[in-house]
Amino acid sequence: MSTATKFKTLKDIPKEEYIAPGNTMCAGCGGILAVRIFHKALGPNVAWVNAAGCMTISVSYPLSPLKSNWLYTAFASAPAGAQGIRDALDVLMAKGKLQKSEDLKVVVVTGDGAAYDIGFQSTAGAIQRDLDFYYLCYDNEAYGNTGFQMSSSTPYASSSKTTPVTAAYPYGNTGRKKDLFEAWRAMKAPYVATLSNSHGVDFLRKVEKGEGIRGPKLYIDFAACPTGWGFDPKYSIEVEKLAVQTGVWPLKESVDGVVRHTYVPRALTPVREYLRTQERYGHLFKPVEKPEAIATIQRSVNDYWAKVAAEESTQATPAPA
Amino acid sequence: MILRVRFHGRGGQGAKTASRILGNAAFNDGYNAQDFPIYGAERRGAPVTAFTRFSESEITERGFIFSPDVVAVMDDSLTADPTASPFAGLRKGGLAIVNTAKPAAEVNGGRTDIAVLTLDLTRRALDTLGKAVLSSGIAAAVARASGITSEAFMRGLVEELKEVGLSDDAISKNVALATAIYDVVSPIKLHTEELPARADLVPLAVVVSGEGTEDVVNTGNSASRHTGNWRITKPVIDYLKCTDCMICYAYCPESAMSAGPDGRIAIDYDNCKGCMICQTECPLRAIGSQMEGLQ
Ligand code: SF4
Ligand code: SF4
Ligand code: SF4
Repeated sequence: MSTATKFKTLKDIPKEEYIAPGNTMCAGCGGILAVRIFHKALGPNVAWVNAAGCMTISVSYPLSPLKSNWLYTAFASAPAGAQGIRDALDVLMAKGKLQKSEDLKVVVVTGDGAAYDIGFQSTAGAIQRDLDFYYLCYDNEAYGNTGFQMSSSTPYASSSKTTPVTAAYPYGNTGRKKDLFEAWRAMKAPYVATLSNSHGVDFLRKVEKGEGIRGPKLYIDFAACPTGWGFDPKYSIEVEKLAVQTGVWPLKESVDGVVRHTYVPRALTPVREYLRTQERYGHLFKPVEKPEAIATIQRSVNDYWAKVAAEESTQATPAPA
Repeated sequence: MILRVRFHGRGGQGAKTASRILGNAAFNDGYNAQDFPIYGAERRGAPVTAFTRFSESEITERGFIFSPDVVAVMDDSLTADPTASPFAGLRKGGLAIVNTAKPAAEVNGGRTDIAVLTLDLTRRALDTLGKAVLSSGIAAAVARASGITSEAFMRGLVEELKEVGLSDDAISKNVALATAIYDVVSPIKLHTEELPARADLVPLAVVVSGEGTEDVVNTGNSASRHTGNWRITKPVIDYLKCTDCMICYAYCPESAMSAGPDGRIAIDYDNCKGCMICQTECPLRAIGSQMEGLQ
């Protein structure tokens, strides 16, 4: 990034902790790590608005890991809750009952269930009203909190509770992951970005960049989920790195509709290296390998990066399909 | 007479399935029965609670069991875990069945007014099933102790295991395990009394609100949960190799690492869950691992 940034290396990560230890997320959860890093980048004055999901359980009365504010809403309505807080803060400041220094950054945090499915409409409304807020979606590609049921973020050929591998459906999920980045961009949000916890500097810089932009600032974090995806929690960051290196999870941002990839892998690692790390794709390798399904995934990744190359004159060498 | 059983396990050990097996077994034996888990997040390693009630007459009680006659504790680390508190409300004269290799006196939660039965179910499950799934074993122990017949129990066991989708081979291994445990336990006649109301609740800073629950005001108070007891392996920093690069710090999902004024990284073992991300990510391999419980 050309603009000045506080974040040059990972060592620049702010040292203040706003999420106390002792939360109840699974060991190795990428979702809570995303919230921790996001909060560090934003600083202390934050009001979180959360819709049902794994993160909801992290605050379980009477114990809370959050040192900041938290409003819990129904599944569909976190952005509406954010509107209420934003308006209240603005009114109080206009009346002189709140100092500018006491203002809060309003951040919606939900999983993909709320972002891609159940809260999609209220997010569209908030974007249309040009609400000045942040949206952090920790995307673990299914409804993790209730036992890993499919959402519209669940990728092709992933198994889940509701897309199990059967004789009729040997690859599990037949649907394709919704492109939420493009959907949000199409709604004219001024800033949309993807994040991966494994690329911490890129993550911190994007949050920093959003701070300079008024209006909806929307982030999708690729949140490794050891419990739902089926891998040893110690590999959480490695799995995310592989998703980026294989090109499965592109790191990019859109400023006023103009898309730029913030990291382009020089040569894509074959997707199979990523898929084989997780039980949810176990059926693609056991009892026998399913090359057609793996090739389908590889082709869609290659097509994506070919388009990026054409549009942004950057080049990622495709991996063999 | 009504018997109230509360199961305490960790996510993945099978507490909910155990409560269902026992419910089925009691029903097959002619009792009225209820079984249900606490609805909550399914976190691997986090405390899980499930309940079974059964009675010769109609059961009019509903909801969580706060004063059980029997508690079944599937992991002895839970006996010292304040978020599980398996002995809370256990009636005077009640029975605790604890999965442990330790002597009863070490796992009775300081209670001398109850009976404690210890069984090393984990070892038996590992020997028979090859993994530490304890539902069949603990259900067998409770069923036998409470006098449910073998025939009713085995039928209930198989019904439930079929329902959760186990293969025939896995079911027969579970039956073998359950039979072995059923045979080493004896029926126990319980005469229990409810405890007086508790006076040992943890004080929290609260604002009493006009309606609903009190507002807790000490935010970030979760550190007192001590998720360190979820840990199976423990990360240990070798300070001779560590260069304070902060990479492990950045990636710790638990905020369980901190940098001192001298920049040295330290681990908060009270709450580190042992995910071992720090070990994987350390570029200098300066973090080793130790099995918990071993020195
Ligand atoms: S289910 Fe997945 S997203 Fe939810 S807390 Fe566990 S690891 Fe995190
Ligand atoms: S094991 Fe996990 S929770 Fe513990 S210090 Fe390392 S990264 Fe943090
Ligand atoms: S990653 Fe390794 S070298 Fe760096 S601070 Fe942590 S333990 Fe030390």
